Amino acid sequence: MRKLDMRLMRMIKYSKGQFISVAVIVAVALCIYMLLNVTAMNLTHAVNYYYELTNFNDIHVQVVRISQGATNELKNLDGIKEVQGRVSVDVPLEVADKNEKVKIRLISLPQEEKINILYRLGKRQMKLAHDNVILLEQFAAARNIKPGDVIYPKINGRVFELTVSGIAASAEYVYVMENEQTLLPTPEKFGVAFVSEEFAQSVFGYRGSFNELLITVDDKNKIDDIVDRLEKKLDQYGLKRIIERKDQLSHTVLTQELDGLELMAETVPVLFLTVAAIIIFIMLSRIVQNDRTGIGVLKALGYSNFNILFHYTKYALSMGMVGAVIGIGSGLLFSGPMCQFYALYFSIPVIKVDIYYSYMLKAVILTGFFCITAGIFGARPVLKIMPADSMRPEAPKSGKRILLERVGFLWRRFSFSWKMVVRNVMRTKGRLAFLVFGLSLAYGINTVPLYLADVFPLMFTMQYDEYQKMDYHVEFTQPMHKRVVKDISHLIEVDKIEPKMEYPFELQNGWRKKTVRIIGIPRDTSFYKFEDINNRQVELPPKGIFLTEAIAKVLKTNRGDKITVNNFIPGKEDIEIEVKGIVKQYLGSNAYMDLDTMGELLVDQEMITGVSLATKDNTGMDVKEQLQDIKNIASINSVTDMKNSFLEFMDMMMVSVGVLLIFGGILSFAIIYNATVISISERSMEFASLRVMGFDKKDVYRLVGKENALITGLSILLGIPFGIGMMSGLAGAYTTEMYTIPLILSPKVFVYAALATIVFVLVAQLAARKKIYHLNFIDALKSRIS
Amino acid sequence: MRTEKQVLMTIENLSKSYQMGEVSVKALEHADFELFDGEFVVILGPSGSGKSTLLNILGGMDIPTGGRVLVRGEEITQYDDRKLTAYRRDKVGFVFQFYNLMANLTARENVELATELCKEALNVDEIMEAVGLGERKDHFPSQLSGGEQQRVAIARAVAKNPLLLLCDEPTGALDYQTGIMILSLLHKINRTLRKTVVIITHNMAIGDMADRVIKMRSGRIVEIKENQSPIPPERIEW
Repeated sequence: MRKLDMRLMRMIKYSKGQFISVAVIVAVALCIYMLLNVTAMNLTHAVNYYYELTNFNDIHVQVVRISQGATNELKNLDGIKEVQGRVSVDVPLEVADKNEKVKIRLISLPQEEKINILYRLGKRQMKLAHDNVILLEQFAAARNIKPGDVIYPKINGRVFELTVSGIAASAEYVYVMENEQTLLPTPEKFGVAFVSEEFAQSVFGYRGSFNELLITVDDKNKIDDIVDRLEKKLDQYGLKRIIERKDQLSHTVLTQELDGLELMAETVPVLFLTVAAIIIFIMLSRIVQNDRTGIGVLKALGYSNFNILFHYTKYALSMGMVGAVIGIGSGLLFSGPMCQFYALYFSIPVIKVDIYYSYMLKAVILTGFFCITAGIFGARPVLKIMPADSMRPEAPKSGKRILLERVGFLWRRFSFSWKMVVRNVMRTKGRLAFLVFGLSLAYGINTVPLYLADVFPLMFTMQYDEYQKMDYHVEFTQPMHKRVVKDISHLIEVDKIEPKMEYPFELQNGWRKKTVRIIGIPRDTSFYKFEDINNRQVELPPKGIFLTEAIAKVLKTNRGDKITVNNFIPGKEDIEIEVKGIVKQYLGSNAYMDLDTMGELLVDQEMITGVSLATKDNTGMDVKEQLQDIKNIASINSVTDMKNSFLEFMDMMMVSVGVLLIFGGILSFAIIYNATVISISERSMEFASLRVMGFDKKDVYRLVGKENALITGLSILLGIPFGIGMMSGLAGAYTTEMYTIPLILSPKVFVYAALATIVFVLVAQLAARKKIYHLNFIDALKSRIS
Repeated sequence: MRTEKQVLMTIENLSKSYQMGEVSVKALEHADFELFDGEFVVILGPSGSGKSTLLNILGGMDIPTGGRVLVRGEEITQYDDRKLTAYRRDKVGFVFQFYNLMANLTARENVELATELCKEALNVDEIMEAVGLGERKDHFPSQLSGGEQQRVAIARAVAKNPLLLLCDEPTGALDYQTGIMILSLLHKINRTLRKTVVIITHNMAIGDMADRVIKMRSGRIVEIKENQSPIPPERIEW
């Protein structure tokens, strides 16, 4: 081994604490990088393969009724590859607990499946007949239903006994949600069962016809054109909705998750590597300064600038590469379980975990780039060291007064040791800037999980305690006359009850389209409260429509714009309507109209699709029990239930909050530990002089502590804008049609993040304590060995 | 006798001023002299007389602000950084007052650090033996005495097989006995390997062993004296 490399190895051994702390940051960065990228890649491949294998539909159409013949004719439409009709109806499922409302979607399967072919699990697969079903995997698992068990769907008032003859997964239900309004999946409350076509057509009264179509196309780029033509063609069959694959619920959730993974994979590792680079930069610039004489000797011996620069850059690179090996290794190690977790979370039965070597290469290049750049910049002063100069004691740093000293009344209040601390910190402004930058990034990272932990419950409370104050949502199986409100209020004890109408329509602004559920409510509603984006309360107007933020964003509309509502209901015309306001809604996204206006313009007057109600009874038992025998009630959702499932979701969230906090902690620790250790070794002479003058170890340690306190204080102040930036980035990135994460800056978040940062700094300082306590001040004073 | 000697170095009108913090110091003014092959030269002067500056410029470690230095007819003061590095690597060996060994390399490794660079390096083990450190070559600098460290430094300088050896106060940090031992070693190297040795010191007594003594004061050369009968280092006293 070259002697210079040997020196490097021993340098590393001597400073292993610092070396490890930087390597750990790099390792975390690359672990995240590999883990997320490999997971995203495997998941994407698995999904694509799964979709291909099961021939997942490109277009999903809902109509009132279309005959077999008309369905077959569609195949002749230019660009359409395959069409498959089916009957799909949601019905209640009778379960052991009479109070439990469970819904099941019965979907017919043709003799020969061509589109959305079920992925059958297990051996026992019987032919579908009148008395058996194939059950969707997630529902079967959630309710512990096995092949051979019997389920009891209630169809048009009659309970059927259907034997489960098999379990299957479906590309359409990779993620099971009843509809867009369901915020979180409740796999035990909503399931899907596949039945024979004959059975479905006979029990639901669709002889020789269907209410849904699955379509595949030849060229996915021409899908818009095909959809347009389908719209015209299917109008006569009572077209309800045309859902392209990109808008399909399960697919959307999956895509969002993948996008989220990719976004994290792109940003978090870069953030970490930036901090690692900052530490390397500071470390090397200090090491080079300490090694001034040694560098002079090397130059005197005939080592070139390049040799020496490379020597120190290798130090940086070796930290990076050790971190890279650990990071890549652990990332790959965890990516297997992570992929499996996702394959379960999304029901994708065909996942295959592959290693993507290109990401390993990219990770190494990325690390190399950050470390070499930081190394070269940190070790750059090497170039300026003249061998002769380096042999002489360094000229005293120009001991200027700092700006703060001019503020006499403030400066005088500082104790002697604080004056020393402030001057010392200010002496190397560039380094201070980098330190503070790094630590404020770490602080910013700490704010993010705390913000999430703060804002998610807030979103929930705002939604259900402020914007929507009902206790129950009751949905009917079909539109009913308004007077049913009276009937219900006679049946159960309610404090308040309000009718509502909820229908999906396609909203259009120019070429931008979005299918949205418009909710019609009475204008004098006491359940709903609307606030515009400036937090001003607004009243629902008699004419016009309110859009929630997320929809306004997709459609790019503002208050006062006119948009088109495309109406699929037979006999109803598309209308133009004015956007009267953009309102807030954190969970889900809808459009709102006055109930009467909506009935008149879009649906039918006097008809409603459900009610909202509030009751003093909050056990929920009564309401559900009393309403359970009422015909035509599809579902009763209690806000309390939603709260509970949200709390479960929050528990999961807290785990990732913890993980993120640990990441922020690692960064803060590494920065402060390194800064402290370097500062100690750099100023051993100064500290030794202080010791000789009568300072004891504690006094010196306290001095270093004060410097760190000052740096931490500055970093927290500067970290606030960083934090806000990251939070708003996150809020923007994660705001979807299902959630709108508001940028609510609560002081609590900043205070807790500051506390967390301080704790990490204290831990780092404790770890560095040994270095001061072991400082032999006599040796330090004599030391002339480089 | 003088006409037989080959000129190794020509120093012409050499000047250097420094910026030390906020003070400008004229360290060297108008130095003019020659160095010959195989000569043992002592540059004498009190501290601050400019002798270290002169030595550093001769060794290609520092750049003058005026004048020129020629080594075998080539002007090194015109060299760029790369050429100066090559010059230091192949032509010069340095010995410093405070030894300046690499703390985390052993004695032997410190020497190898230098020999790895040059093509015509001498055998490291032989040199270690020659400086009397055959037994202690695997010790780290912190395990060696001052004299031993300086011997490592000398070995490091000599092992490169340079044209000239430049020693900056090589005995400055050592006691009398050890100092004499170091001087004997340098003398031996001068006489046996025929290396030009330049020692700078403020210790007048050392001048007695030199072929020539160059006296400096306040950045100027005040006298160049040829020593007709240099005495062996063992007889020097201070």
